[in-house]
Amino acid sequence: MARDKQKRSCGQVLAEWRAFVWDPRSRQVLGRTATSWGLILLFYLLFYGFLAGLFALTMWVLLQTVDPHVPKYQDRLATPGMMIRPRTETLDVAFNVSAAETWQHYVRLLHDFLEPYNDSVQAARNAACRPGRYHEQPDEAVPNVPKRACRFARSALGPCAGLGPPGTAFGYAAGRPCVLLKVNRVINYFPGENKSINVVCAAKREEDAARLGEMAMFPPNGTIDLMYFPYYGKRVHVNYTQPVVAVQFLNATANEDHHVECRLNAAGLRADDERDKFAGRVAFRLRINRD
Amino acid sequence: ELEEKYGTSISKGLSSARAAEILARDGPNSLTPPKATPEIVKFLKQMVGGFSILLWIGAAFSWISFGIQFAQGAESPFDNLYLGVVLALVVILTGIFAYYQEAKSTNIMASFSKMIPQQALVIRDAEKKELPADQLVVGDIVEIKGGDRIPADIRLIFTQGCKVDNSSLTGESEPQSRSCDFTHENPLETRNIAFYSTTCVEGTATGIVINTGDRTIIGRIASLASGVGNGKTPIAIEIEHFVYLVAGVAISIGVLFFIISVSMRYKILDSIIFLIGIIVANVPEGLLATVTVSLSLTAKRMAKKNCLVKNLEAVETLGSTSIICSDKTGTLTQNRMTVAHLWFDDQIYSADTSEDQTTQPFDQSSQTWTALSKIVTLCNRAEFRPGQENLPVMKRVVVGDASETALLKFAEVVLGDVMDIRARNKKVAEIPFNSTNKFQLSIHETDDRNDKRFLLVMKGAPERILERCSTIMINGKEEPLDSEKAEAFQTAYMELGGMGERVLGFCHLYLPENEFPDTYPFDTDSMNFPTSNLCFVGLLSMIDPPRSTVPDAVSKCRSAGIKVIMVTGDHPITAKAIAKSVGIISATSETVEDMAKRLNVPVERVDRRQATAAVVNGMELKDMSLQQLDEVLCNHSEIVFARTSPQQKLIIVEGCQRQGAVVAVTGDGVNDSPALKKADIGIAMGIAGSDAAKNAADMVLLDDNFASIVTGVEEGRLIFDNLKKTIAYTLTKNIAELCPFLIYIIASIPMPIGTITILFIDLGTDIIPSVALAYEKAESDIMNRRPRNKSKDRLVNEQLAVYSYLHIGIMQSVGAFVTYFTVYAEQGFLPTTLLGVRVNWESNAINDFEDSYGQEWTKYQRTYLQWTGYTAFFVILQVPYLTHGMLRCFQIRTSFLTPRFQYWFVAVPFAILIWVYDEVRKLFIRRYPGSWWDKNMYY
Repeated sequence: MARDKQKRSCGQVLAEWRAFVWDPRSRQVLGRTATSWGLILLFYLLFYGFLAGLFALTMWVLLQTVDPHVPKYQDRLATPGMMIRPRTETLDVAFNVSAAETWQHYVRLLHDFLEPYNDSVQAARNAACRPGRYHEQPDEAVPNVPKRACRFARSALGPCAGLGPPGTAFGYAAGRPCVLLKVNRVINYFPGENKSINVVCAAKREEDAARLGEMAMFPPNGTIDLMYFPYYGKRVHVNYTQPVVAVQFLNATANEDHHVECRLNAAGLRADDERDKFAGRVAFRLRINRD
Repeated sequence: ELEEKYGTSISKGLSSARAAEILARDGPNSLTPPKATPEIVKFLKQMVGGFSILLWIGAAFSWISFGIQFAQGAESPFDNLYLGVVLALVVILTGIFAYYQEAKSTNIMASFSKMIPQQALVIRDAEKKELPADQLVVGDIVEIKGGDRIPADIRLIFTQGCKVDNSSLTGESEPQSRSCDFTHENPLETRNIAFYSTTCVEGTATGIVINTGDRTIIGRIASLASGVGNGKTPIAIEIEHFVYLVAGVAISIGVLFFIISVSMRYKILDSIIFLIGIIVANVPEGLLATVTVSLSLTAKRMAKKNCLVKNLEAVETLGSTSIICSDKTGTLTQNRMTVAHLWFDDQIYSADTSEDQTTQPFDQSSQTWTALSKIVTLCNRAEFRPGQENLPVMKRVVVGDASETALLKFAEVVLGDVMDIRARNKKVAEIPFNSTNKFQLSIHETDDRNDKRFLLVMKGAPERILERCSTIMINGKEEPLDSEKAEAFQTAYMELGGMGERVLGFCHLYLPENEFPDTYPFDTDSMNFPTSNLCFVGLLSMIDPPRSTVPDAVSKCRSAGIKVIMVTGDHPITAKAIAKSVGIISATSETVEDMAKRLNVPVERVDRRQATAAVVNGMELKDMSLQQLDEVLCNHSEIVFARTSPQQKLIIVEGCQRQGAVVAVTGDGVNDSPALKKADIGIAMGIAGSDAAKNAADMVLLDDNFASIVTGVEEGRLIFDNLKKTIAYTLTKNIAELCPFLIYIIASIPMPIGTITILFIDLGTDIIPSVALAYEKAESDIMNRRPRNKSKDRLVNEQLAVYSYLHIGIMQSVGAFVTYFTVYAEQGFLPTTLLGVRVNWESNAINDFEDSYGQEWTKYQRTYLQWTGYTAFFVILQVPYLTHGMLRCFQIRTSFLTPRFQYWFVAVPFAILIWVYDEVRKLFIRRYPGSWWDKNMYY
């Protein structure tokens, strides 16, 4: 076979190809007659049309069976994750105090993030809840009634609220940056077993604690009030305001990397999962450069 | 003269010094093993063959991307390192597996060397010495006695009743007598040469060594056999074709999507990782192992049916066989002479020639039969070995030559205890058979006490016997032998001879009591007794009869479209007779010679094309050109080659292969080994076969029965069909593995299935159902189809690829995606949320990824969900299990892998759909054969 192929000249190969593309004798295009092509195209049209229809149908059925308010399973979210703001691509907060352009985007991000926390917005939308206990809103007769959200006062974040004169810039201009910490939303999650919960931050390695220096937590102690829980899902809990804690690094040593870890301190919460580094805790790098 | 030619002395032999000199010149008297490819080269070949090269490329890419990621300090670069290691491991393990399989096929030369006799009795320095046979040199004088193996090619100079068994060399089933006389120009035919590695059955001989080592006849055959290239088996060709096809698809899709992903602004590194994924998804890593396992399962099944397969791929070859070149002796026949016909009282009786005869049905009431049976019993030197009384007569071992054995067994079956009859009729004198007299004679006392006469019995060549007779016994009475009776004898003799049978004549004479009293001293040298004017009693004819299962097997081959050609070293007449009796030449067909005889015209004037059968003599074959041989093979459907040499067998096989046929060759002798090796599949006989033949063959028939070949053909065809199903199954799953990648790249959804998971499916779970397909039952028409056409009926054809890729594969992918979306939706990510999320989804920095319900996920939580998705996808790829309704227990075992059992049910509608679709496809194919549907959907 192989030898036969080699023997054929280039012209013959071309002629064969031409015959394959259009064979006038048997009136075949690419090895099929017009009828055959018609049938095969019709077949695939019907076949794939049917499959597409079936796919659409099953997806529709799927969406019908899915509860739009609460997902069917939440087993993956047993321990809520934590995150920092400002969020960048690499979980770093690194800037040069004297070069404003290196920190201005952090400031902008924080301002954007805190926009919904403005007292005016909160007062307009949200209710004042009783602090210190879960704000449960069970469905009475009608399922999935809209739920009210509790107010979070931006001012509670103190110097990290960004409410001061523009120059202060969450402390970035002075080399005393604020980082906001938030706990991931998980529907129907009750943290802390009715006891108060708070966020604590520390250097990842104890020996670095001295160089990281003092930190200030806002609200004091890094407390998160239980009234912000549970979360009922974005459909019914429209104006839900996620509680935030701020940490301000007061005198971190300049020009070196600090690895900071903040964890949620709540009863019944395990924040030591080896594989999930962000379950109930968050780690980030801080670097303050000074000229 | 001989002494001079070989520089030796018959009485003194060579001097040790001279022998050492020649030994140094010619080398030792042993066969040189062929140059073997180094093992490491074979091993490396396995490492880069087939899909391995693709996987190596994948592994290399993995390592490159690992290197780049590591240098960039990315967070989890080790994934790619592991992937590369796994890919390399896959290649190495499958390579080792294939290498091990290949290493099992043994080396042909190993057995040739085993056949060398250990010691030889040599005259050197005028002394007899025992020497290792490999020390023999040309010119040595060697002595041989019965039972020895001939140590080299020997020109005999002294013999005494020497007979050699040349069956392993020439295929002749009887021992050949050897003398010092030069009888034929052809060294294979002449009587004064004994060949290396054959056995001396009886007698003694002395001879001069004329050839040693590779220059002996058997050495030449051995080098002929090792010189014959072993072509690829049909299944190997098919698999290669399949590999090219799949590799082509893999590379083109891979490159296409590489370009697409680059132009979609993916990073080059990511694009390379996609490319690896696409290659891994496309390459059925486990398939080659599956094929091997399926083949070895079939091989095991065949071994139970007495077909031992040495080369696994040969299993399928037998199925695609279109021509079987069968040896006659031992394969088609029982390899023992048996009395087939008797002629007495002017009538021919046939005897039972089956393998397990216990009685003979012909009319035994005639007085003539009584006389004949007495001659048969008494004029016979063969004896049973003692201690076999409990064995059936046919199985007992006999000391004596083939025809005497036949007569002895025949007499034992008909009359009972032959040895007792002989004891009662004491032998007083005997003249053994020799080639000048052409008769055998003995004189006995009779067992009748009142009859004091001696009985002289004689048997021999019928015409010689008749010459010595003046009367003939008809119905127990002696009648004068007139020309009319002589004519009747001639007719019977011709008829029996025409059936290819060896005919013996029998006569007797009661010696008158007055002339030959009790004490008469019979002297066999002076022959002081009458040896003429005897009374002719009858004829007996013998043949090596066909096995009883063979005619049926031959007709099965016919209906399966397989041409059976007989190739034998035997006489044309015998060959033709056997061919006719087993149906190789059917009852209605004629050879050119038959037609000439019937039409009464010279052979030249017969239209050769009209004759369906042909009997070709080795001599004719010698003068034929290749074109003429092709013509013979083309024009005649029923062919017998007689008197063929090993070289000619090879030519015949090559001729058949030139016709595009897949040729199976059966054989048992050393002389067959080149043809066995050349054949697409060589089949050796397990009992009668020589080691060389068994080693050259791909398959050994343990029961030497041609009928077993038919079983083999059926199994071979079945495995081809089943491999097709296996491949269809494997290719189906390939699309379902590939689609996720393509959609992942285009729609940027979270990865539906991981590369390692694909490997796990291909190499782990998938092998079992694929192998299960090897157990599928044969379709009813499997033995009524023509053998598949090598160039047209491919293992993987367009229809099969289209059906598995574009029909079932797509259906399965759709089903899998529905499941995938279900998993994500039930965990919080509705389908619309998933589109285009890839970059954020895979970002390590984003640990508050929002789902459709407002919940936030860390990277690890997402990854865990992704794994759940993999598992679900994996489960769906097992849908064919559901559709084929097999391996139920296996499903239960995998269910622990699925986080939620109900995901199974998502796939159920699709499983049913696939099942219904496949059944409808088959229904339409059956209902409308030849229709557009049939053409496009049948694979």
